[in-house]
Amino acid sequence: MKSNFFKLLAVLVLTSLMLTACGGGAAPAEKAKVTIFVGFGTGTDPDQVAAQEALAKKFNESHTDTELEFLIVPVEESTERYLAMVAGGNAPQLVGPHGISTIAKFKDQWEDVTPYIEKEKYDMSDFYGPSTTLNKYPDLNAGLPLGLYPSFIFYNKDAFDAAGVAYPTHDYADTSWNIDAMKEMAIKMTLDANDKTPADADFDPATIKQWGYADTWTDFRGQMTMFGASTKGRPTSDDYKTAQVNSAEWLFGAQWLHDGVFKDHFIPDAAGQGAIDAASGDPFGGGHVAMWYSHTWYMSEGLNDLPFKYDIAPLFYNQNGDRISRIHADLFTMPKTAKNKDAAWEVMKWLVAPEQIIDVCKIYGCLPARQSSQEAYLKYLNERYPGIDYDVIFTAIDYLDDPSHESWVPEWGKVNDTLNNTQTTIYTDSEADIEALINLTNEDVQKILDEYWASK
Amino acid sequence: MKSIKTISLARREAMAGYAFIIPWIIGFLIFTIGPMLASLYFSFTDYNIVDPPNWVGLDNYIRVFSGIPEFFRTGDTRQLGDPIFWKALQVTIYFASLALPLNLIFSFSLAVLLNQKVPGVNVWRTIYFLPSIISGVAVTLLWIRILNPRMGILNPFLQNVLGINNPPGWLQDPNWAVPALVIMSLWGVGGSMIIYLAGLQGIPTDLYDAAKVDGANAWQRFWNVTFPMMTPVLFYNLVLGMIGTFQYFTEVYVATSGTGGPQRATLFYNLYLYQNAFRYFDMGYASTLAWILFIIVLALTALIFRSSDMWVYYEGQLRGKQ
Repeated sequence: MKSNFFKLLAVLVLTSLMLTACGGGAAPAEKAKVTIFVGFGTGTDPDQVAAQEALAKKFNESHTDTELEFLIVPVEESTERYLAMVAGGNAPQLVGPHGISTIAKFKDQWEDVTPYIEKEKYDMSDFYGPSTTLNKYPDLNAGLPLGLYPSFIFYNKDAFDAAGVAYPTHDYADTSWNIDAMKEMAIKMTLDANDKTPADADFDPATIKQWGYADTWTDFRGQMTMFGASTKGRPTSDDYKTAQVNSAEWLFGAQWLHDGVFKDHFIPDAAGQGAIDAASGDPFGGGHVAMWYSHTWYMSEGLNDLPFKYDIAPLFYNQNGDRISRIHADLFTMPKTAKNKDAAWEVMKWLVAPEQIIDVCKIYGCLPARQSSQEAYLKYLNERYPGIDYDVIFTAIDYLDDPSHESWVPEWGKVNDTLNNTQTTIYTDSEADIEALINLTNEDVQKILDEYWASK
Repeated sequence: MKSIKTISLARREAMAGYAFIIPWIIGFLIFTIGPMLASLYFSFTDYNIVDPPNWVGLDNYIRVFSGIPEFFRTGDTRQLGDPIFWKALQVTIYFASLALPLNLIFSFSLAVLLNQKVPGVNVWRTIYFLPSIISGVAVTLLWIRILNPRMGILNPFLQNVLGINNPPGWLQDPNWAVPALVIMSLWGVGGSMIIYLAGLQGIPTDLYDAAKVDGANAWQRFWNVTFPMMTPVLFYNLVLGMIGTFQYFTEVYVATSGTGGPQRATLFYNLYLYQNAFRYFDMGYASTLAWILFIIVLALTALIFRSSDMWVYYEGQLRGKQ
C-alpha cells in the first residue's frame, strides 16, 4: 500500500513537472511568417543574399508580430520551384523583386492590391507616374512600385577615340542623334582582325573582333520596341485579339536589324554573339561592342573595373523621329493563394517605404520608384560609378515604352517563343526574306490568339 | 498460424525476397506509378498547376492529331492542329536516325580496338571512357565553344587541315544544328564501349580456336564469331540508346537556352514537352505529349524486341529453337 502511494506520488510529480515544462505560462502570440521568394530576377548573387539577410534582420528587430525571411532560389530553378510551392499549397507570401515579364507570365496568379491601397488610402503620389502603371492591368494592380530600370546607350570612349568619331550627344532634344547617325558611327567602329571596317573593300566579316552596336540582351519584342509601333512593345491590338507583328514599324525594325547583321555588319550575328558569350559573356565590358543598348541593371553587372573609359547617352531617335526607350520596372507581388496576406502587405509597404527604398534598390540596382529618393540615390550613384552623366538615366524615364515590351498578351510564353524564333532567323539566316518571315510570324501569333479567345 | 518450421524453404525464400524488394516496390509505386497515373489523368484535363484540373476529355489528343488529312491534301504544315508537335517529333527522329547508329558503330568499333592485346591498353580504355562520366552540362558548354564558327577550334581544323572553305555554322545554322548535337553525343560513347568490352571478353576462346582450325581469317572470325556473339549486347545498347535519344533534353536545353533554336531546328520532343509544362503552364497538354512519347517508345521497343528473333544470337541457342 505504502509502495503504491509513493508510485502514485511519483507519477503525479512527474506529470506536473512535464505539464509545467510544456506549458511555461501563457503562450506568446505566434508571429505571422512572410517568406519572400527571390529568384525570378535579380537578388541571387552572394553579396545580394547577404544584404537581403541584413534587411530581414532589420525588419525582424523592429516588428514583433511578423517574421520576414528571404528564400533565395537559383534563377534557372525558380519557375519549377515556385510552381511546386504554389501547387503544394505552400505559396510564398511575396515574390520578387521581379519585373513586368514575370508579372505577365503568371498574370492570373497575383493578388490585386487595389483593395489594400483603397482601404488605407495609401499615398501613391510620391511614386513616378510610369512606375504605377507599368504593372497595372484593368483587372490587376500587381503591387507597390519598387524600382525602375531605364535604358540608354553605354559607349566605349576609347573605341570612339580610336575611330576618330565624336561621342554621341547627351542632349535629349538633339534630333541629329538618330538611327542613321548611330549606324554611321557604328560602321566606323566595327573592326575585323586586320582593323578594317565594313566601309573598306577588303573587310572580312568572318573575323570581326569589335562590333559597332549591339542590343542582344533582350528578346524580339524588346528589340522592336524602339521602332515606335502604335502598340509600342506589344505585338497585339489593344483588345489583344489581333496580331500586329507585321506593323510597318516592326517590319522596318526587323529589316534594319537583319541588314545591320548581314549587310552592314555592325551588329553581331548569332555566331558572333556565341563568340562573345564564349570569350567573356559581356558584350560591352568585354570590349566586343562600341555601343551597347541596355538598362541600369547592367551597371552592377558590367561596369566594374573596365579597362577602358565609358559613358552613357540617350537612345537615338528612330526612323520616324520618335524616341521609345524601353524600361523595366520591379516590384514585390503577393500570390493569390498565399497565407498571411495582411502581413505580406505590411512587408510590401515596408520595403518600398521612403526609409527603406534606397537600401533595397542598392541591393537590386534599380532606381527607386519614389521621386523623393532621387537626390539621395543620385548621390550614391555618383560615388559608386563616378563620371557618368546621370541626367541621361533619369530623363530616359520620360521616353519609356508603354505598353511595355514585357507586358502581358494572351499565351504570353507561346507568343514570345514564336517571336523569338523569328529573332533567331534574323540573326542566323543571311538570305532570309524578312517581309515574308514577319508576315508568317504574324499569322502564327494570330493563330495563338484565336485559339486563346476560342477557349474563353 | 503456421509456425516458421512448417513453411517450405521455397516459400521462405520468396518471403525474404519480397521483404528485400518491398522498399523498392513502395518507392516505385509512389514515385513512378503514382506520377504516371496522375499524368495520365492530367492528359485529359486543362491543368495549369495552380488551378484545379478541368476535365476536357480527348481535346488534348485531338489537338495533336487534328489536321492530318488537310496536311496530306495540301502539304501545308500549318494545317496541322499543332505543327510544332510534328516539328519536334521530326527533329527527334532525325537526331535518333543519325545518333543511334553512329553511337552503336563508334562504341562497338572502339571496344573491338581496345580489346586487342596492345601495350598500355588499360590507359587507352580509361582515356576513352573518361568523357562519358562528365556531366551533360559540362560537356555541352565545352562543345559550344569547340563548335563556335568564329572562335571554336573545329572550323579552323576543317579549314586549315582538311581544306574545307566554308565550314558549317554548327549550332548557329538550322541545317547543321542537329548534326552538331550528334557529334556532341559521340563524346559519350565510352559508356557503351565498356559494356561492349565486357561482352567481347565474355566470348569463349574455344570458338575462335575452332574457327582458326577451320581456316577462318581475322575478318571471318569477327563476322562469324565475334559479331553474332555480341548481338545480345548490341540489342541491349540499341534499346537503351533508342530510349535515350527520344528522351534527349539536357544538352539541347543548355546549348539553346531552352529555345530549341535556331528556327526550331533543335526543338526536340522533350524540350517541347518541357516548354508546354514550365513555360506555357499547360500541364495537361504536356502530360498528353508525355503519354504519346511513352507510346511511341513502347512501340519502337516492342518492334526491336520482335525483330530480335531474327538477328540476336545467344550462346548455345539453335536458330529457330529455344
